[in-house]
Amino acid sequence: MDSDKKKKIDRRTFLKGAASAAIVGGTAVTVGCEGKGLLGSSEAFAMEFTEYFKKHYRLMTQAERDQTVSRLEKLAKLKQNITVNIDTTQPAENVLYGYAFNVTRCEGYMECVQACVKENNIDRKSNTQYIRIFEMEHGQMSPDQGEGKYFHMVPKEGHFYMGVQCFQCENPPCVKACPTKATWKEPDGIVVVDYDWCIGCRYCMAACPYWGRRFNWNQPQIPKDEITKEQHYLGNRSRVRGMMEKCTFCIQRSRKGKVTACVEACPTGARVFGNLLDPDSEIRFVLENKKVYRLKEDLGTDPKFWYFID
Amino acid sequence: MKNPICKKSLFCIFSGLLLFFYVSPVFSNQQEDVTSKFKKAVTKIDKSKQVDNTIPVPKNIIKATMEYQGGLFYTEARKNQIKRFKCSTCHNNKKVLISNAADISHADIKVVHGDKKNPLTCNTCHNENDRDFLVTGKGTKIDLDHAYNMCGQCHFRQKKDWIGGAHGKRVTYWAGERVVKNCTSCHNPHSPRFEKRWPTTYSVPLK
Repeated sequence: MDSDKKKKIDRRTFLKGAASAAIVGGTAVTVGCEGKGLLGSSEAFAMEFTEYFKKHYRLMTQAERDQTVSRLEKLAKLKQNITVNIDTTQPAENVLYGYAFNVTRCEGYMECVQACVKENNIDRKSNTQYIRIFEMEHGQMSPDQGEGKYFHMVPKEGHFYMGVQCFQCENPPCVKACPTKATWKEPDGIVVVDYDWCIGCRYCMAACPYWGRRFNWNQPQIPKDEITKEQHYLGNRSRVRGMMEKCTFCIQRSRKGKVTACVEACPTGARVFGNLLDPDSEIRFVLENKKVYRLKEDLGTDPKFWYFID
Repeated sequence: MKNPICKKSLFCIFSGLLLFFYVSPVFSNQQEDVTSKFKKAVTKIDKSKQVDNTIPVPKNIIKATMEYQGGLFYTEARKNQIKRFKCSTCHNNKKVLISNAADISHADIKVVHGDKKNPLTCNTCHNENDRDFLVTGKGTKIDLDHAYNMCGQCHFRQKKDWIGGAHGKRVTYWAGERVVKNCTSCHNPHSPRFEKRWPTTYSVPLK
Protein backbone atom coordinates (compact mmCIF):
# COMPACT_ATOMS: atom_id res chain seq x y z
CA MET A 1 0.00 0.00 0.00
CA ASP A 2 2.68 2.48 0.99
CA SER A 3 4.67 1.95 -2.15
CA ASP A 4 1.53 2.43 -4.24
CA LYS A 5 0.88 5.77 -2.59
CA LYS A 6 4.36 6.95 -3.36
CA LYS A 7 4.05 6.03 -7.00
CA LYS A 8 0.61 7.48 -7.57
CA ILE A 9 -0.04 11.17 -7.16
CA ASP A 10 -3.56 11.48 -5.89
CA ARG A 11 -6.07 14.02 -7.24
CA ARG A 12 -5.76 16.43 -4.34
CA THR A 13 -2.02 16.85 -4.51
CA PHE A 14 -2.08 17.10 -8.28
CA LEU A 15 -4.56 19.97 -8.14
CA LYS A 16 -2.56 21.68 -5.42
CA GLY A 17 0.55 21.46 -7.51
CA ALA A 18 -1.22 22.65 -10.64
CA ALA A 19 -2.71 25.62 -8.82
CA SER A 20 0.58 26.76 -7.36
CA ALA A 21 2.26 26.30 -10.74
CA ALA A 22 -0.41 28.44 -12.34
CA ILE A 23 0.10 31.17 -9.76
CA VAL A 24 3.87 31.10 -10.26
CA GLY A 25 3.41 31.10 -14.02
CA GLY A 26 0.89 33.90 -13.87
CA THR A 27 3.14 36.09 -11.81
CA ALA A 28 6.02 35.34 -14.12
CA VAL A 29 3.96 36.44 -17.10
CA THR A 30 2.81 39.62 -15.41
CA VAL A 31 6.30 40.47 -14.25
CA GLY A 32 7.46 39.89 -17.79
CA CYS A 33 4.75 42.13 -19.15
CA GLU A 34 5.54 44.77 -16.63
CA GLY A 35 9.15 44.66 -17.64
CA LYS A 36 8.19 45.36 -21.22
CA GLY A 37 5.90 48.17 -20.12
CA LEU A 38 2.91 46.58 -21.82
CA LEU A 39 0.55 47.13 -18.97
CA GLY A 40 2.08 50.22 -17.50
CA SER A 41 1.93 50.09 -13.73
CA SER A 42 0.94 47.23 -11.50
CA GLU A 43 -2.02 49.37 -10.46
CA ALA A 44 -3.30 49.35 -14.01
CA PHE A 45 -2.75 45.62 -14.19
CA ALA A 46 -4.67 45.04 -10.98
CA MET A 47 -7.58 47.08 -12.26
CA GLU A 48 -7.59 45.39 -15.62
CA PHE A 49 -7.50 42.01 -13.90
CA THR A 50 -10.52 42.89 -11.75
CA GLU A 51 -12.34 44.09 -14.83
CA TYR A 52 -12.33 40.53 -16.16
CA PHE A 53 -14.42 39.36 -13.23
CA LYS A 54 -17.15 41.95 -13.22
CA LYS A 55 -20.76 41.00 -13.77
CA HIS A 56 -23.10 41.65 -16.65
CA TYR A 57 -24.26 45.26 -16.60
CA ARG A 58 -27.86 44.37 -15.86
CA LEU A 59 -26.90 42.19 -12.90
CA MET A 60 -24.67 44.75 -11.27
CA THR A 61 -25.87 46.80 -8.33
CA GLN A 62 -25.39 50.56 -8.54
CA ALA A 63 -22.39 50.29 -6.20
CA GLU A 64 -20.76 47.73 -8.49
CA ARG A 65 -21.45 49.90 -11.50
CA ASP A 66 -19.82 52.85 -9.79
CA GLN A 67 -16.79 50.71 -8.99
CA THR A 68 -16.28 49.53 -12.55
CA VAL A 69 -16.83 53.05 -13.86
CA SER A 70 -14.20 54.45 -11.55
CA ARG A 71 -11.83 51.65 -12.64
CA LEU A 72 -12.43 52.43 -16.31
CA GLU A 73 -11.93 56.14 -15.73
CA LYS A 74 -8.66 55.50 -13.90
CA LEU A 75 -7.51 53.13 -16.63
CA ALA A 76 -8.16 55.76 -19.28
CA LYS A 77 -6.13 58.20 -17.24
CA LEU A 78 -3.25 55.75 -16.74
CA LYS A 79 -3.13 54.28 -20.23
CA GLN A 80 -4.01 57.20 -22.48
CA ASN A 81 -3.68 60.12 -20.07
CA ILE A 82 -7.17 61.41 -20.79
CA THR A 83 -9.83 62.35 -18.27
CA VAL A 84 -13.11 60.76 -19.23
CA ASN A 85 -16.43 60.87 -17.45
CA ILE A 86 -18.33 57.61 -17.82
CA ASP A 87 -21.87 57.70 -16.49
CA THR A 88 -24.47 55.03 -15.92
CA THR A 89 -27.61 57.17 -16.08
CA GLN A 90 -30.67 54.96 -15.86
CA PRO A 91 -33.58 55.26 -18.27
CA ALA A 92 -36.13 57.83 -17.16
CA GLU A 93 -39.71 56.81 -16.54
CA ASN A 94 -42.34 57.47 -19.16
CA VAL A 95 -39.76 57.86 -21.92
CA LEU A 96 -39.69 55.89 -25.17
CA TYR A 97 -37.39 57.33 -27.77
CA GLY A 98 -38.58 57.68 -31.33
CA TYR A 99 -36.97 59.06 -34.44
CA ALA A 100 -38.26 60.41 -37.72
CA PHE A 101 -36.35 61.14 -40.89
CA ASN A 102 -37.65 63.60 -43.46
CA VAL A 103 -36.84 62.17 -46.88
CA THR A 104 -37.86 65.40 -48.60
CA ARG A 105 -35.59 67.60 -46.51
CA CYS A 106 -32.36 65.60 -46.49
CA GLU A 107 -29.92 67.03 -49.00
CA GLY A 108 -27.12 64.51 -48.54
CA TYR A 109 -24.53 66.79 -46.95
CA MET A 110 -23.50 63.95 -44.59
CA GLU A 111 -22.83 66.27 -41.66
CA CYS A 112 -24.66 63.78 -39.46
CA VAL A 113 -22.30 60.94 -40.36
CA GLN A 114 -19.30 63.03 -39.43
CA ALA A 115 -20.85 64.20 -36.16
CA CYS A 116 -21.83 60.63 -35.24
CA VAL A 117 -18.33 59.25 -35.78
CA LYS A 118 -16.91 62.00 -33.61
CA GLU A 119 -19.48 61.78 -30.83
CA ASN A 120 -19.45 58.02 -30.50
CA ASN A 121 -15.66 57.51 -30.63
CA ILE A 122 -15.93 55.22 -33.64
CA ASP A 123 -12.80 53.71 -35.15
CA ARG A 124 -11.31 56.00 -37.79
CA LYS A 125 -8.97 53.44 -39.33
CA SER A 126 -11.64 51.09 -40.71
CA ASN A 127 -13.95 54.00 -41.62
CA THR A 128 -16.80 52.57 -39.55
CA GLN A 129 -19.99 54.63 -39.52
CA TYR A 130 -23.30 54.08 -37.76
CA ILE A 131 -25.23 56.23 -40.20
CA ARG A 132 -25.27 55.76 -43.93
CA ILE A 133 -26.81 58.16 -46.41
CA PHE A 134 -27.85 56.88 -49.82
CA GLU A 135 -28.50 58.86 -52.92
CA MET A 136 -31.53 57.39 -54.60
CA GLU A 137 -33.38 58.11 -57.78
CA HIS A 138 -37.02 59.06 -57.60
CA GLY A 139 -39.05 55.90 -57.46
CA GLN A 140 -36.48 53.76 -55.68
CA MET A 141 -37.65 52.45 -52.35
CA SER A 142 -35.00 50.34 -50.68
CA PRO A 143 -31.64 51.86 -49.69
CA ASP A 144 -29.71 48.87 -51.05
CA GLN A 145 -30.55 50.21 -54.51
CA GLY A 146 -29.05 53.57 -53.58
CA GLU A 147 -25.56 54.92 -54.06
CA GLY A 148 -23.56 55.67 -50.93
CA LYS A 149 -20.28 56.69 -52.51
CA TYR A 150 -21.56 59.67 -54.44
CA PHE A 151 -18.91 62.23 -55.16
CA HIS A 152 -20.38 65.40 -56.56
CA MET A 153 -22.08 68.51 -55.31
CA VAL A 154 -25.32 67.76 -53.45
CA PRO A 155 -28.29 67.88 -53.71
CA LYS A 156 -28.37 66.42 -57.21
CA GLU A 157 -31.41 66.96 -59.36
CA GLY A 158 -33.82 64.05 -59.68
CA HIS A 159 -32.49 62.37 -56.57
CA PHE A 160 -33.42 62.10 -52.94
CA TYR A 161 -31.41 61.07 -49.92
CA MET A 162 -32.20 58.40 -47.39
CA GLY A 163 -30.42 57.79 -44.13
CA VAL A 164 -30.10 54.36 -42.55
CA GLN A 165 -28.95 53.57 -39.05
CA CYS A 166 -30.01 51.29 -36.20
CA PHE A 167 -33.79 51.57 -36.00
CA GLN A 168 -34.01 50.55 -32.32
CA CYS A 169 -36.69 47.95 -33.00
CA GLU A 170 -39.31 47.33 -30.37
CA ASN A 171 -39.06 43.64 -31.27
CA PRO A 172 -35.35 43.42 -32.04
CA PRO A 173 -34.12 40.29 -33.87
CA CYS A 174 -30.51 41.00 -32.88
CA VAL A 175 -31.38 40.56 -29.21
CA LYS A 176 -32.91 37.16 -29.88
CA ALA A 177 -29.82 36.07 -31.82
CA CYS A 178 -27.29 36.94 -29.14
CA PRO A 179 -26.00 33.76 -27.44
CA THR A 180 -24.52 35.57 -24.43
CA LYS A 181 -27.33 38.07 -23.73
CA ALA A 182 -24.81 40.82 -24.29
CA THR A 183 -27.37 42.94 -26.13
CA TRP A 184 -30.81 43.90 -24.92
CA LYS A 185 -33.51 46.54 -25.17
CA GLU A 186 -33.55 49.11 -22.40
CA PRO A 187 -36.90 50.25 -20.94
CA ASP A 188 -36.63 53.53 -22.85
CA GLY A 189 -36.43 51.61 -26.10
CA ILE A 190 -32.72 51.81 -26.87
CA VAL A 191 -31.03 48.57 -27.90
CA VAL A 192 -27.64 48.51 -26.21
CA VAL A 193 -24.59 46.25 -26.06
CA ASP A 194 -22.57 45.35 -22.97
CA TYR A 195 -19.19 45.44 -24.69
CA ASP A 196 -17.58 43.26 -22.02
CA TRP A 197 -20.05 40.43 -22.55
CA CYS A 198 -19.97 40.45 -26.32
CA ILE A 199 -17.97 37.53 -27.68
CA GLY A 200 -17.87 38.88 -31.22
CA CYS A 201 -19.76 36.05 -32.89
CA ARG A 202 -21.61 38.53 -35.12
CA TYR A 203 -24.87 36.57 -35.01
CA CYS A 204 -26.69 39.85 -34.33
CA MET A 205 -25.11 41.38 -37.41
CA ALA A 206 -26.54 38.53 -39.48
CA ALA A 207 -29.91 38.77 -37.76
CA CYS A 208 -30.37 42.49 -38.32
CA PRO A 209 -32.40 43.16 -41.49
CA TYR A 210 -31.41 46.84 -41.49
CA TRP A 211 -27.60 46.56 -41.59
CA GLY A 212 -27.55 48.37 -38.25
CA ARG A 213 -24.64 46.72 -36.44
CA ARG A 214 -20.92 47.23 -36.77
CA PHE A 215 -18.04 44.95 -35.91
CA ASN A 216 -14.62 46.08 -34.71
CA TRP A 217 -12.20 44.26 -36.97
CA ASN A 218 -9.26 46.04 -35.42
CA GLN A 219 -8.46 47.93 -32.25
CA PRO A 220 -10.33 51.23 -32.65
CA GLN A 221 -8.01 54.09 -33.38
CA ILE A 222 -9.08 57.59 -32.50
CA PRO A 223 -6.84 60.66 -32.38
CA LYS A 224 -6.39 61.51 -28.71
CA ASP A 225 -7.67 65.06 -28.97
CA GLU A 226 -10.82 63.95 -30.80
CA ILE A 227 -12.06 61.56 -28.11
CA THR A 228 -15.43 62.55 -26.66
CA LYS A 229 -14.89 62.74 -22.91
CA GLU A 230 -18.53 62.58 -21.85
CA GLN A 231 -19.25 58.87 -22.11
CA HIS A 232 -21.82 56.30 -21.11
CA TYR A 233 -21.13 52.73 -20.04
CA LEU A 234 -23.47 51.41 -22.73
CA GLY A 235 -22.60 54.07 -25.25
CA ASN A 236 -19.41 55.62 -26.51
CA ARG A 237 -16.87 54.36 -23.96
CA SER A 238 -13.73 52.83 -25.40
CA ARG A 239 -14.15 49.50 -27.14
CA VAL A 240 -11.65 46.85 -28.10
CA ARG A 241 -11.11 44.65 -31.11
CA GLY A 242 -13.59 41.89 -31.80
CA MET A 243 -16.87 43.20 -30.43
CA MET A 244 -20.08 44.58 -31.82
CA GLU A 245 -21.17 48.14 -31.49
CA LYS A 246 -24.13 50.09 -32.77
CA CYS A 247 -26.05 53.32 -32.72
CA THR A 248 -27.50 53.92 -29.25
CA PHE A 249 -29.39 57.13 -30.04
CA CYS A 250 -26.35 58.75 -28.38
CA ILE A 251 -27.36 57.28 -25.00
CA GLN A 252 -24.84 59.54 -23.26
CA ARG A 253 -26.69 62.56 -24.62
CA SER A 254 -30.32 61.47 -24.85
CA ARG A 255 -30.53 60.25 -21.26
CA LYS A 256 -29.48 63.71 -20.15
CA GLY A 257 -32.19 65.36 -22.21
CA LYS A 258 -30.06 66.29 -25.20
CA VAL A 259 -30.87 65.47 -28.81
CA THR A 260 -28.59 63.01 -30.56
CA ALA A 261 -25.44 64.21 -32.31
CA CYS A 262 -26.91 63.58 -35.77
CA VAL A 263 -29.97 65.69 -35.02
CA GLU A 264 -27.82 68.50 -33.72
CA ALA A 265 -25.52 68.36 -36.74
CA CYS A 266 -28.22 68.17 -39.41
CA PRO A 267 -28.14 71.48 -41.31
CA THR A 268 -31.57 71.02 -42.91
CA GLY A 269 -33.60 69.81 -39.92
CA ALA A 270 -34.48 66.54 -41.61
CA ARG A 271 -34.11 64.60 -38.38
CA VAL A 272 -36.67 64.62 -35.57
CA PHE A 273 -35.98 63.00 -32.21
CA GLY A 274 -38.17 62.87 -29.15
CA ASN A 275 -40.27 61.06 -26.60
CA LEU A 276 -43.01 58.91 -28.10
CA LEU A 277 -44.94 58.87 -24.83
CA ASP A 278 -45.20 62.65 -24.66
CA PRO A 279 -48.33 63.68 -26.62
CA ASP A 280 -46.89 67.17 -27.19
CA SER A 281 -43.53 66.09 -28.60
CA GLU A 282 -42.35 66.79 -32.14
CA ILE A 283 -42.10 63.13 -33.01
CA ARG A 284 -45.74 62.63 -32.07
CA PHE A 285 -46.71 65.60 -34.24
CA VAL A 286 -44.90 64.01 -37.18
CA LEU A 287 -46.54 60.63 -36.62
CA GLU A 288 -49.98 62.14 -36.33
CA ASN A 289 -49.81 64.73 -39.12
CA LYS A 290 -47.41 63.44 -41.75
CA LYS A 291 -47.30 60.56 -44.16
CA VAL A 292 -44.94 58.17 -42.44
CA TYR A 293 -43.60 54.75 -43.29
CA ARG A 294 -41.11 52.35 -41.84
CA LEU A 295 -38.54 50.25 -43.63
CA LYS A 296 -39.42 46.56 -44.00
CA GLU A 297 -42.40 46.91 -41.71
CA ASP A 298 -43.66 43.48 -42.81
CA LEU A 299 -40.86 41.77 -40.89
CA GLY A 300 -42.56 42.58 -37.62
CA THR A 301 -39.48 44.08 -36.03
CA ASP A 302 -41.49 47.16 -35.10
CA PRO A 303 -38.74 49.78 -35.57
CA LYS A 304 -38.98 53.12 -33.78
CA PHE A 305 -37.63 54.97 -36.81
CA TRP A 306 -40.06 56.47 -39.30
CA TYR A 307 -39.49 58.06 -42.68
CA PHE A 308 -41.79 60.89 -43.63
CA ILE A 309 -42.38 63.30 -46.47
CA ASP A 310 -43.54 66.88 -46.39
CA MET B 1 -75.09 11.81 -30.99
CA LYS B 2 -77.66 9.86 -29.12
CA ASN B 3 -75.12 8.74 -26.62
CA PRO B 4 -75.01 11.14 -23.65
CA ILE B 5 -71.36 10.19 -22.96
CA CYS B 6 -70.41 11.34 -26.45
CA LYS B 7 -72.15 14.68 -25.84
CA LYS B 8 -70.37 15.07 -22.55
CA SER B 9 -66.97 14.37 -24.03
CA LEU B 10 -67.63 16.79 -26.91
CA PHE B 11 -68.60 19.46 -24.43
CA CYS B 12 -65.44 18.80 -22.45
CA ILE B 13 -63.25 19.09 -25.58
CA PHE B 14 -64.88 22.33 -26.70
CA SER B 15 -64.70 23.97 -23.32
CA GLY B 16 -61.08 22.87 -23.03
CA LEU B 17 -60.27 24.41 -26.41
CA LEU B 18 -62.01 27.65 -25.45
CA LEU B 19 -60.06 27.84 -22.23
CA PHE B 20 -56.82 27.17 -24.15
CA PHE B 21 -57.42 29.97 -26.64
CA TYR B 22 -58.37 32.30 -23.84
CA VAL B 23 -55.25 31.61 -21.80
CA SER B 24 -52.69 31.14 -24.60
CA PRO B 25 -51.92 34.87 -25.23
CA VAL B 26 -50.71 35.10 -21.64
CA PHE B 27 -48.02 32.51 -22.25
CA SER B 28 -47.06 33.53 -25.76
CA ASN B 29 -44.29 36.04 -26.20
CA GLN B 30 -46.43 38.53 -28.06
CA GLN B 31 -45.79 42.07 -26.85
CA GLU B 32 -47.57 45.30 -27.46
CA ASP B 33 -46.41 47.05 -30.62
CA VAL B 34 -44.98 50.52 -30.47
CA THR B 35 -47.84 52.20 -32.34
CA SER B 36 -50.48 51.14 -29.86
CA LYS B 37 -48.05 51.97 -27.07
CA PHE B 38 -47.69 55.60 -28.01
CA LYS B 39 -51.33 55.96 -29.01
CA LYS B 40 -52.26 55.05 -25.47
CA ALA B 41 -50.01 57.75 -24.02
CA VAL B 42 -52.26 60.80 -24.02
CA THR B 43 -51.64 62.32 -20.62
CA LYS B 44 -49.51 65.43 -20.57
CA ILE B 45 -46.01 65.05 -19.20
CA ASP B 46 -44.43 67.55 -16.84
CA LYS B 47 -41.72 69.11 -19.01
CA SER B 48 -39.40 69.82 -16.10
CA LYS B 49 -39.41 66.20 -14.90
CA GLN B 50 -38.74 64.33 -18.15
CA VAL B 51 -35.14 63.56 -17.22
CA ASP B 52 -33.31 63.67 -13.91
CA ASN B 53 -30.84 66.16 -15.25
CA THR B 54 -31.60 69.85 -14.79
CA ILE B 55 -31.66 71.43 -18.21
CA PRO B 56 -30.31 74.94 -18.53
CA VAL B 57 -32.45 77.32 -20.56
CA PRO B 58 -30.27 78.63 -23.39
CA LYS B 59 -29.55 82.31 -23.61
CA ASN B 60 -30.53 84.52 -26.50
CA ILE B 61 -34.08 83.23 -26.87
CA ILE B 62 -37.48 84.86 -27.15
CA LYS B 63 -40.98 83.63 -26.46
CA ALA B 64 -42.89 82.90 -29.66
CA THR B 65 -46.12 84.78 -30.30
CA MET B 66 -48.16 81.62 -30.72
CA GLU B 67 -48.52 78.29 -28.96
CA TYR B 68 -47.71 74.78 -30.09
CA GLN B 69 -49.71 71.70 -29.02
CA GLY B 70 -47.94 71.77 -25.63
CA GLY B 71 -48.30 75.45 -24.83
CA LEU B 72 -45.82 78.32 -25.08
CA PHE B 73 -42.43 77.80 -26.65
CA TYR B 74 -39.25 79.69 -27.32
CA THR B 75 -37.21 80.40 -30.40
CA GLU B 76 -33.80 81.88 -31.10
CA ALA B 77 -33.55 85.68 -31.10
CA ARG B 78 -32.32 87.39 -34.24
CA LYS B 79 -31.76 91.06 -33.52
CA ASN B 80 -28.59 90.68 -31.47
CA GLN B 81 -27.10 88.48 -34.20
CA ILE B 82 -27.26 91.28 -36.75
CA LYS B 83 -24.01 93.17 -36.65
CA ARG B 84 -25.24 96.66 -37.45
CA PHE B 85 -28.59 96.65 -35.71
CA LYS B 86 -30.38 99.09 -35.14
CA CYS B 87 -30.92 99.94 -38.77
CA SER B 88 -32.19 103.37 -37.86
CA THR B 89 -28.71 104.44 -36.76
CA CYS B 90 -27.95 104.94 -40.45
CA HIS B 91 -31.39 104.89 -42.03
CA ASN B 92 -32.82 108.12 -40.67
CA ASN B 93 -33.56 111.56 -41.95
CA LYS B 94 -30.00 112.82 -41.56
CA LYS B 95 -27.46 112.68 -44.34
CA VAL B 96 -25.07 109.77 -44.20
CA LEU B 97 -21.54 111.06 -43.77
CA ILE B 98 -19.45 107.91 -43.35
CA SER B 99 -16.19 107.37 -45.17
CA ASN B 100 -16.81 103.62 -45.76
CA ALA B 101 -20.45 104.05 -46.71
CA ALA B 102 -19.90 102.31 -50.03
CA ASP B 103 -18.67 99.18 -48.22
CA ILE B 104 -21.62 98.95 -45.89
CA SER B 105 -24.34 99.82 -48.35
CA HIS B 106 -25.65 96.23 -48.50
CA ALA B 107 -24.37 95.85 -52.05
CA ASP B 108 -23.12 92.37 -51.07
CA ILE B 109 -26.64 91.10 -50.47
CA LYS B 110 -28.04 89.07 -53.35
CA VAL B 111 -31.73 88.45 -53.21
CA VAL B 112 -32.57 84.99 -54.56
CA HIS B 113 -36.04 84.75 -53.12
CA GLY B 114 -39.42 84.46 -54.72
CA ASP B 115 -40.57 83.94 -58.27
CA LYS B 116 -37.90 84.16 -60.98
CA LYS B 117 -40.00 86.46 -63.13
CA ASN B 118 -41.15 88.51 -60.23
CA PRO B 119 -38.53 88.33 -57.46
CA LEU B 120 -38.83 89.93 -54.05
CA THR B 121 -37.26 93.31 -53.47
CA CYS B 122 -35.92 94.80 -50.25
CA ASN B 123 -39.13 96.57 -49.43
CA THR B 124 -41.28 93.49 -49.85
CA CYS B 125 -40.16 92.58 -46.32
CA HIS B 126 -38.35 95.60 -44.90
CA ASN B 127 -40.43 98.43 -43.56
CA GLU B 128 -39.74 101.63 -45.46
CA ASN B 129 -41.15 103.90 -42.79
CA ASP B 130 -39.75 102.27 -39.68
CA ARG B 131 -36.42 100.75 -40.65
CA ASP B 132 -36.02 98.66 -37.48
CA PHE B 133 -38.99 96.52 -38.40
CA LEU B 134 -40.29 94.27 -41.14
CA VAL B 135 -43.65 94.73 -42.75
CA THR B 136 -46.19 92.21 -44.04
CA GLY B 137 -48.20 92.54 -47.20
CA LYS B 138 -51.11 93.80 -45.15
CA GLY B 139 -48.96 96.46 -43.53
CA THR B 140 -48.45 94.88 -40.09
CA LYS B 141 -45.15 95.78 -38.45
CA ILE B 142 -43.12 92.73 -37.46
CA ASP B 143 -40.18 92.55 -35.08
CA LEU B 144 -37.04 91.02 -36.61
CA ASP B 145 -36.97 88.47 -33.77
CA HIS B 146 -40.37 87.19 -34.82
CA ALA B 147 -39.45 86.72 -38.46
CA TYR B 148 -41.46 83.47 -38.63
CA ASN B 149 -44.60 85.61 -38.82
CA MET B 150 -43.09 87.28 -41.85
CA CYS B 151 -42.07 84.03 -43.62
CA GLY B 152 -45.38 82.42 -42.69
CA GLN B 153 -47.29 84.76 -44.99
CA CYS B 154 -46.26 82.71 -48.02
CA HIS B 155 -44.74 79.64 -46.40
CA PHE B 156 -47.75 78.91 -44.25
CA ARG B 157 -47.37 75.15 -44.63
CA GLN B 158 -43.83 75.30 -43.35
CA LYS B 159 -44.93 77.59 -40.53
CA LYS B 160 -47.59 75.13 -39.47
CA ASP B 161 -45.04 72.31 -39.52
CA TRP B 162 -42.54 74.47 -37.67
CA ILE B 163 -45.00 75.19 -34.87
CA GLY B 164 -45.84 71.49 -34.58
CA GLY B 165 -42.27 70.23 -34.91
CA ALA B 166 -42.03 68.62 -38.35
CA HIS B 167 -40.01 71.50 -39.82
CA GLY B 168 -36.92 72.93 -38.18
CA LYS B 169 -35.45 71.48 -35.03
CA ARG B 170 -35.00 71.89 -31.33
CA VAL B 171 -31.93 73.54 -29.89
CA THR B 172 -29.72 70.98 -28.09
CA TYR B 173 -32.40 69.49 -25.78
CA TRP B 174 -35.37 67.26 -26.54
CA ALA B 175 -36.53 67.54 -22.92
CA GLY B 176 -37.40 70.56 -20.85
CA GLU B 177 -38.77 73.83 -22.21
CA ARG B 178 -39.25 73.73 -25.95
CA VAL B 179 -36.66 75.92 -27.66
CA VAL B 180 -36.56 75.70 -31.45
CA LYS B 181 -34.48 77.28 -34.17
CA ASN B 182 -35.92 80.37 -35.78
CA CYS B 183 -36.39 80.51 -39.58
CA THR B 184 -33.38 82.75 -39.90
CA SER B 185 -31.18 80.46 -37.77
CA CYS B 186 -30.89 78.06 -40.70
CA HIS B 187 -32.09 79.97 -43.76
CA ASN B 188 -30.52 83.10 -45.12
CA PRO B 189 -33.61 85.29 -45.55
CA HIS B 190 -32.19 86.85 -48.71
CA SER B 191 -31.55 83.52 -50.44
CA PRO B 192 -33.31 80.89 -48.36
CA ARG B 193 -32.56 77.80 -50.41
CA PHE B 194 -29.59 75.78 -49.15
CA GLU B 195 -26.61 75.98 -51.43
CA LYS B 196 -25.18 73.06 -53.34
CA ARG B 197 -21.96 71.85 -51.81
CA TRP B 198 -19.69 68.87 -51.41
CA PRO B 199 -20.73 66.15 -48.96
CA THR B 200 -18.59 65.90 -45.83
CA THR B 201 -17.82 62.21 -46.24
CA TYR B 202 -19.16 59.11 -47.99
CA SER B 203 -21.03 55.97 -46.96
CA VAL B 204 -19.78 52.42 -47.13
CA PRO B 205 -22.07 50.19 -49.27
CA LEU B 206 -24.53 47.96 -47.43
CA LYS B 207 -23.31 44.62 -48.70
